[in-house]
Amino acid sequence: MKNVLLASHGTEGARAAERMAFEICEKGTKLHHLVVVPTLWQGMTGDDWLNNGGIRDKFRRYLEDEIGQEIEAHCDKLNVEANAHELNYSKEIRVGEPDECLIEASRDSEFDLIIIGSPRPKGKTGLRSRMHTKPLTKSLTVPLLIVPFPNE
Amino acid sequence: MVYTKKNPALFIIGVVMLAIWFMADAGMLSGYIDHLGGKHYKHMPELLSMPKYFGAIAVLIGLWQWFGSHKEGHWDYYSSTVAGAMFILLIAMLVRWFIDPEVAALSKSMGTIGQTGKHLHTILGLNYVVMGIVAGIVIVNVFSVPEWAKNGVRVSRLGLKTGVILLGTLYSAAELKNLGGLSIVMIGFFVLGSVGMTLWLGARRNIPNSMGGVLSAGMGVCGVSATVACAPVVQAKSVEIAYTIGTILLWGVACMFIFPIIGHLLDMTPLKFGAWAGTGILNSAQVAGAALAFQPDGIETLKVAEIFNITRVLILPIIVMWLAVWYVKREQTGTKVSVSQVIFEKFPVFVLGFILMFALSSTGIFAPANHYKGKYFDNNKVKPEKMLKAEEKALLQAESAKVQRNDRKAALDRLIANGKVMSIDDDDVLRGLVNAKVVSKDANHILKNAHKAVRHTAKKVKAFRNWITWLFAFGLVGLGMQITVASMKQAGGQPAVIGGIVGFAKAVLSLIVVLLIVKDTI
Repeated sequence: MKNVLLASHGTEGARAAERMAFEICEKGTKLHHLVVVPTLWQGMTGDDWLNNGGIRDKFRRYLEDEIGQEIEAHCDKLNVEANAHELNYSKEIRVGEPDECLIEASRDSEFDLIIIGSPRPKGKTGLRSRMHTKPLTKSLTVPLLIVPFPNE
Repeated sequence: MVYTKKNPALFIIGVVMLAIWFMADAGMLSGYIDHLGGKHYKHMPELLSMPKYFGAIAVLIGLWQWFGSHKEGHWDYYSSTVAGAMFILLIAMLVRWFIDPEVAALSKSMGTIGQTGKHLHTILGLNYVVMGIVAGIVIVNVFSVPEWAKNGVRVSRLGLKTGVILLGTLYSAAELKNLGGLSIVMIGFFVLGSVGMTLWLGARRNIPNSMGGVLSAGMGVCGVSATVACAPVVQAKSVEIAYTIGTILLWGVACMFIFPIIGHLLDMTPLKFGAWAGTGILNSAQVAGAALAFQPDGIETLKVAEIFNITRVLILPIIVMWLAVWYVKREQTGTKVSVSQVIFEKFPVFVLGFILMFALSSTGIFAPANHYKGKYFDNNKVKPEKMLKAEEKALLQAESAKVQRNDRKAALDRLIANGKVMSIDDDDVLRGLVNAKVVSKDANHILKNAHKAVRHTAKKVKAFRNWITWLFAFGLVGLGMQITVASMKQAGGQPAVIGGIVGFAKAVLSLIVVLLIVKDTI
């Protein structure tokens, strides 16, 4: 394997996928990190109508900055870990539905393998996974590795 | 970027509106109107005017958008909102004129439910407001809002704000004073109580201060609006915002359906229901929705609920400031909180419009200052044919011996002598006489006609009432299109637990308080 696509946004299930990537990728492998910002964030002002436009704009900018900083921190951390494993790290951020973004990203380059994590099991705290695996299995032309959720 | 889409959608919407008007005007809908209620179908005047005017506007602008050339600029952005706004309006029209009466006809055909004496649609609050919001929610979540309509959907907020501003014309000074006093007491107690309770529960369950801060604003003040205003101040994390907004939307939508059902089962008056919804429902949009769902054919409940909403939003800057200070102290960030900046930024400008319209209304510009619900007393405008006739005076004279109370006797004498009601006080006293059923049925009929002769409807106020109804219907359909299941699905974690406890306690306790202390009418 020379070119691996890793989809991760830093949740517990995705972290398991990252560990698996470091484990199976040989030195010098190109590790392309895909981060998807789900479209659900666009609806996060909900049905607010009482606020002035300025407050909503401020909120949107704040939320964008917050998500941006979280992604940057996550990417930086992954970059350090990838370097430690002597992998060639690159990153890409897309906005959309996770499965659609992953399918599109897989077509942009010739990957040998795609690695993703599992959704969190019921009872575990965290945001609800927006990744639909059924369209993935129908559309992907690259082998897909879904790493099981880590046992405690 | 050019926002206006070269798209036939607006033109098609206009054609549909004109088709509705044409079919109604040509009598092609007569059979269907008979099925929907016949002479009891009350939307005919709207059906014969609104789709004609709005349809013509949509066709003209639609043609220009479809075939014209568009350039970047302010006008392009405003123009891009027209298609979405007309899309919302068309849905509101279809729901109000056809779907709502259809559901009512179906429900009436099933008879009344048990001992309640009410039909299913009344008990469930299934009316054009609720169905309009549901239509909006279905569109965004099942089909998604079309690209050409997205900018227009955002305009729905303007509809609600304009509705509140116009609502200012319908309050009397006494109403505003009494409702304002009641709302300050209720909102003050329950806002502070639920903010405090959320912070306390949050501390006990070891949630981060940022999450406690944003959640307490949402739970305590006005739902999503408070969350949006407060999140940057307490530096809430993205996941905390998603949890909080998901929880509030889920609660709000559930309350919007459940509150009117309970209100009808408890036979609550508009004042009591408006006070309860205005206090107990977390999210401000759903307060308006529940008020109109409870009383779709009148706006008395909405008037009460909106005073509570306005009180909430006026309290919002104070709560944001409190939480900002609380957060800075707890986190020891060393950041300075500027009181004036917070108040200036968070002050809801549209409330000034409401106050301005109320002030204008008080000067008598829209209706005489003594009007109540758009009706006012004026005995100088009594038409000659409405004056008491000789035989009517004779009948009242013959029955005056039955009247014992001096004030009623005096008012009746003045009516007989002048042939019309002579003052507001006389009018009130004679209304009391009618209600007391002291005189015969025929005499009561004459008294009722004498009352009608001196009571006039202010045309401007009547028009405002119609506009307000439409502005809220329009706004709520649009807000429905901004409630995504994806957001609601994010409800979870500690905010869902704490929100559930606080939301339930607020709804139940405010119901008890309203039933115990709020009178049936103002």
